[in-house]
This record gives sequence, structure tokens and C-alpha cells, in this order.
Amino acid sequence: MTTVPQNSFCEEHKIVITGIGGQGIVFLTRLLSQTAVNLGYPVVVSETHGMSQRGGSVISHLKIGGNEAPLIQRGSADVLIALDANEAMQNLDFVRRGGTVFVSSNEELHPDLLPHLERLNIRTLHFPASAIAVELGSPETANIVMAGFVCAYDGLNLPLEDLQATIKQIAGKRAEGNLKALAAGFQAGKKKIEDSQPLPENSR
Amino acid sequence: MSTQLLTGNDAIALGLVEQGCRVATAYPGTPSSEILAGIIKYKKALDKDLYAEWSVNEKVAFEVALAAAWTGLRAAVAMKQVGLNVASDPLFSAAYTGVKGGFIVIPADDPGPHSSQTEQDSRLLALTAKVPVFDPSTPAEAREMIADAFALSERFKIPVILRPTTRLCHAVSPSADAPASSSDGKPVSPKFQKDPAHWTATPKLRYKLHTELNQKLIEIAAEFANSKYNYIVNEDHGGEVGIIASGVAFHTARQALLELGVRVPMLKIGTPYPLPVNLIEAFSARFTTVIVLEEPDTCIELQIPNRQRVRGRLDGSVPNSGELTPEVMFSVLSKSLSGVGIQVNPSPEDADLSAAIKKLSLPARRPRLCPGCSHRSAFYAMKQNFGPRAIYPGDIGCYTLGTNLRAVDTFVDMGASITMANGFFQANRLVGDDRAVIATIGDSTFLHSGIPPLINAVHTGARFVLLILDNHTTAMTGFQPTPANDYLADGSEAPRKVSIPDLVRACGVEYVKVTDPYEQEDFTAILNEAQAHTQAADGGVAVIIADRPCVLYDNDPILEHPIPVVVTDECDGCRFCTEAFECPALVLRADGSHVDIDYKLCIDCGQCIDACYKGFIVPKLAEMVP
Ligand code: SF4
Ligand code: SF4
Repeated sequence: MTTVPQNSFCEEHKIVITGIGGQGIVFLTRLLSQTAVNLGYPVVVSETHGMSQRGGSVISHLKIGGNEAPLIQRGSADVLIALDANEAMQNLDFVRRGGTVFVSSNEELHPDLLPHLERLNIRTLHFPASAIAVELGSPETANIVMAGFVCAYDGLNLPLEDLQATIKQIAGKRAEGNLKALAAGFQAGKKKIEDSQPLPENSR
Repeated sequence: MSTQLLTGNDAIALGLVEQGCRVATAYPGTPSSEILAGIIKYKKALDKDLYAEWSVNEKVAFEVALAAAWTGLRAAVAMKQVGLNVASDPLFSAAYTGVKGGFIVIPADDPGPHSSQTEQDSRLLALTAKVPVFDPSTPAEAREMIADAFALSERFKIPVILRPTTRLCHAVSPSADAPASSSDGKPVSPKFQKDPAHWTATPKLRYKLHTELNQKLIEIAAEFANSKYNYIVNEDHGGEVGIIASGVAFHTARQALLELGVRVPMLKIGTPYPLPVNLIEAFSARFTTVIVLEEPDTCIELQIPNRQRVRGRLDGSVPNSGELTPEVMFSVLSKSLSGVGIQVNPSPEDADLSAAIKKLSLPARRPRLCPGCSHRSAFYAMKQNFGPRAIYPGDIGCYTLGTNLRAVDTFVDMGASITMANGFFQANRLVGDDRAVIATIGDSTFLHSGIPPLINAVHTGARFVLLILDNHTTAMTGFQPTPANDYLADGSEAPRKVSIPDLVRACGVEYVKVTDPYEQEDFTAILNEAQAHTQAADGGVAVIIADRPCVLYDNDPILEHPIPVVVTDECDGCRFCTEAFECPALVLRADGSHVDIDYKLCIDCGQCIDACYKGFIVPKLAEMVP
């Protein structure tokens, strides 16, 4: 068993993951939750089933540490990860004051939302995960590219090496492609951090 | 070795296998569908001798497992809540006759409802049938309860219900690797012992059995008073308000209290029927107000004899429908607690942000038939041919999504498309309405409960077209085999497969055609022929079997003969194809000027070529493989 890292979750860490059926939300959620479990944290996940392959909205709630309720209350998620801009906006009100939103998209969120995000000190980071996945020649790995990107920002407190180990553990035949996607997302994330202004302190 | 993450359904499956369940049956239905697959997985992993089957419907599944329990083996049956209605006939009877080996009935409820016709609370059916219930609150607890449920069932010779809900079935949490202390079920050498007075009891004896059942329930209630699944948290926090909660609602309520910044004593109930009333009374006596939180309906609240201080779904303190989401829970508790002068934190949700999101009226992403789904082609042809005036009774499955294409006008329950078509025909005839009636049903649903309605329709001279949409699997719930498939639940080869066309003919249908909905021209011709048969002097019900595998399950035919398509520059964005055909891979440009193919989603089925009546969707000939 890996030792619990320094930046351990002092209390609860709540992550909402959203997108459209077929984008691999369930697998992305598995990747993050299994990594947290491997690190020794208690985890509760709530998945959407049934419609997850049929193009409908899909949402997963992932709670690391904390109590056993499966769902996260609106206004209390630390992080929102969205593989689709429309779904990001639909679910923006899950994010708490000072939380972070990661969106796979080239475009800004709707301008009407920006003043609210500023007021609530919610930081939004855009990232063209699908474009990178297409460049890698495997469009279906956009979800993993996104995981790498988020990891670069330490938005999950899950170290890269541990995400890699989990991919080897659970991805089977697709492990190699997924590791590439994770690395690409991570590098792009690091680069974006370097290129940008010093970040406002992530309040966690 | 890492800790494994288990879904609630897997935890239930593992519990059954490690506790020596020997016969397990099920009919698929969300949220219960993964239980039987899990049983097969753990049977292999733990090397157990166990028989598992996907039965043709829930009544059949129930009775197969019941017979095993009558021989003395441990047995279980799983289904979704509405499936318990189908199995309710034997459920009521089994409560009277009782069982020999442990027998667990697992109906998964769907508060919300997320993928069901109703929110039905199976605990209420249990209460009517007089069957004891365990109500788990986490996957781990569900796994643990299996051992106790089997033991209770064997000791009292009574079927026992384990009732999970959607959020438990689909929750994922860590679970111990090592199997819980395993039992292989008693007795050691089970054998069915004939005892007609008991197993075939006549009405007079049934009266005696009912009296015995009532006695068992009194004793079980007394046992439940000491159950480890019933306990109090926040015991030391006094005050005027107490909470009684069960299932997932218990943990959601605890989370809401944390957000509210209040500690309130809570009694958690894991055995809602027969309710250990003394426990409830002793707890309630300490407070002026007791709030009962349970899903999806009232079962605990209903059984509390003295309801003076009780608040819940019955008096409207808790909404009397819908899921107890964290938001609902927060507002219910916030209102009740501040009502008695307790100070609580405000909701963490930012109302202004939520209002701003609502104002954007973002497009809601409704579920749709998959790109290339043959149901879409069948519906499209049907709709083009019979128009909006015809009546389209539909059924339960992927193809219920045909409502989007306005080719499904009704759905009631499994098999009802045929009975409703029969009813529409008879009603229309009485009032001289000559509209065409075209019913649709899937292969699994037809076998589940379409056959008796078809026999009924043939015999009574009804006239309508029935399309059996045969995609070769139970697609909606995850590709479980039907009796028309050549493999069984564990993937092994089936001894025999049942022919749907032969069944239809045996029901007395004279017009039976098997055809591929991808061949839209032929398909339309057959639709017309079928309709003509319903009108002919010696005609009757006409059945078309639309034969094409689900593309998620088997897209080999397309991979072998892909028909890539392009939209020509002439496309003017009229939206006919996106609305009438609605393939998710057909996307209207943001400025509405043109439709494009989203090649990430498109599977090269070529079906949309027929969906642009102006001919602007064309095959990319260069890339076609003949
Ligand atoms: S799962 Fe299969 S049957 Fe269901 S919509 Fe998709 S392609 Fe059609
Ligand atoms: S060919 Fe046409 S109908 Fe088939 S998946 Fe592609 S866009 Fe959809």
C-alpha cells in the first residue's frame, strides 16, 4: 500500500464530473476513484447508468474522504470537470465558493455567467482536450487527456505517478494509449501554467 | 493488494455468492441489471457451484428460484421495482407457503425516477404481501445484510426482501477483498420433500398458513428490535427534534446536517418491515418533533402507530414524490429545524448563479437512439409511410426513445404495446375511426410479455400491424441474452434457441415477414403490404420482424460494408433530417445554415441518405467497400 502523500485530504474532497454519454465519463471517474482508493482514502462514487451510452447528459459524483452520502450537494463541490461546455454550464452551480472548473472546450463560458464566477471566486480553466486527443490519433481518449490536464493543476491532489499506475491496473489493452493521452494532457497543463500569469491561490 | 471498488450491485452479487446462494435468477432492468452479471463473475472467481439464469420475465425468475428454495437450497431473484409487480403473484403465495432454503428477493427501487415508469416503493408491496425487508444504506451494508437475510429466511422459513435503491445500486465504494465468512447454505443434502398439505395447500389450509405467517412476523419484529442495522447516531445531542431515516436517505440526511451545522439525534432503520415499533416509540418519546426520511414512498412512517409528533411525506413536511437529493434534504431539514427555533447555516448553493444558468435556457441533452441504430430506420420508415394520423403504441426498451421521432405514442409496461393496439383497434371500430394502428415491441420485451397479448389479439380478431424490433439482445440494460439468442447468462452456448417468427406463427398470425429495416425501400413496401393485410376481408394482425443487430452490441455488418456519407454544399439547413431522423451524428451548424456529419459519432451506416428528401446527403463513393 502506498503511503498517504503529504497533501492528503484533510477532510472531504468533492468532485463532479460531467459530459455527454459516450465521452467516457464513467471510465474517467473510475480512474480517479481507484487512484484515491489505492492511496488509502475512503471513496464514494455515484454513477449515471442506463442512458450513459445514448448521448444524454451524464454526471458522476466523486467524494474522497468524508461521509457516505452518494451525491454532492449543489454549491459544495471543490472541482467540476466537464468534457462538454454545455454540460459545464448546466452544472456550474455544483461548485462551491473558491472552487475550480475544468472545461474541455475552446470557448469561454457564456458571458452572463462570468460576473457570478468572479463574485464567488470560482476559477475556470479551458482546455481543448478533444483536439489533443484527435492529434494523438485516438479521439476517444479526450477524457484521459483531461485527467492529465487537471492533474497538472493539482486540482485533484492525485499525483501523476499514481494515475499512471491506476491506468496500468484498470485499462487493460487500452493502457498504452491512455498513458500517452494522460502525459499529453499533463504536459499541456504544465505549459499552460507556465505561460499564464501566476495563479490565484487555489483556496484548498 | 489493492482494495477493490465495488458498485452496490456487485456488492450484492458478491454477498450472495459468498453466502452460498446456489440458484440465482433475474430479468434485467435498471438499476438492478448488473447483479446477475456480478453473480456470474464471482461464481467464477470464487469457484462456486451455482446456477444462474436470465429468465424470460420476473414471474418466471421468481418461481425458478422459489422452487430451488423449496428443495432446501439458498436461492435469490433480482429485478427492478416494476418487475416485482410481474412477480407479485408468486410473491404473495410464497409468503404463505414459506420456504426451506434461504430465499432472498431483490427488487431495486428507483426514486426519482431515473429510468422507470413509476417510483413505486417495493417495501409497500412487501408490507402487503407480509414479507420482511432489509433496507441497506451502503453497498457494504447490503453485502453484510445478505448473510442475515439468508439466516432469517431459513430460521423462519419465509422469503426475505433486500431492497436497494438506484443510488445504492450505482454507488461505488471500497469493499474488503476477502470473502466474508462463507456458508454453503443448509441443509447439506437438499431434496424436495413432498408435502401436498403444505406446498399445494387448499384455501382452508391457506387460512392456517396466514395465521402462522402473522405469528412469524410478530417474532421477526421482536428480533429486528435488536438488529445491528438499527442504531442511533448523535445520541448525545439533545433538543426537541429527532430524525428517523433509512436507506441512502440516512447518509444524505447526515451530510445535510453537516452543511446545516447542526447535530440532531438520528435513528437509522435497516429493517423497515416488520417495523420494530418499540424502538421507534422509545426514540420518539424524547422529542416534540420526529422527522421521518425514507425513499421513495412511506413505509416506516406508515407503520408508526402514534403519529402525533411525526413529520414526513404524509403531512407534506417532506415532498411526497421524488428523490431525496442533497438539495431536497437540505431544504426539508432547514425548514423543519428553523421552524422549531434551531439556527442553521444557509444553503451553500448560490441562488443568483443558479438563476443565471436557468436564464440561459441551455439545450437539455435528452437521450437518443444511437448513431446507426436500426430502430431509427424502422421508425423513420413507419412515420413516413403512415404519417402523423396513425396511432403508434410503443413499449419498454431502447426503442421507447422513438417518442423523439413521434413514432411512439404510448407506453405503459412490458408488453402493453400489443394489448394497447388491440384496445385501440376495438375502440376505434366502435366509433368508426379507421386510423392505422402500428405497434412496436423489442425482442426481449416480446418474449417477456408480448406473447399472451398477441394470442389474445389474434383470437379476438383485432387488426393492426405489429413491428417486432429484433436487435438480437436486451440492449437498454446492457446486452443480456434472450431465449432467442444462442448463448446463456454466463456466455456458454444455449442448448436451444427459440425462433421468434415460429412463435408468432404459432400464436395464429398469418402474415409474418422478417426484414431488415436498413433496406428502407423493401421495408416500406412490406409495411404497406402488412397494412393491406390488416384491411383485407380475411386479414388480421400482421407481424413484421425488423431484423438487425444493435450497433453497440454487434456492428460487424457495418464494418464489413461501410457506407460513409457527406452532406453536399446545397444543404440549406432546413433541419428535416435532424428532426425527422435525429441521428446524433447529424449536426446543424451554429448559424443554422447547413447540416454537417460529426465523424466522431458517425458509424458509416448510410441510413441518413434516405432521410434527406432533397438528396443532399450522399454516399462518399470513393471510400465505400462493396
Ligand atoms: S443500444 Fe442498440 S438498440 Fe439501443 S439505441 Fe443504441 S443501437 Fe439502438
Ligand atoms: S451514416 Fe448517417 S445515419 Fe449513419 S451514423 Fe452516420 S450520420 Fe448517422
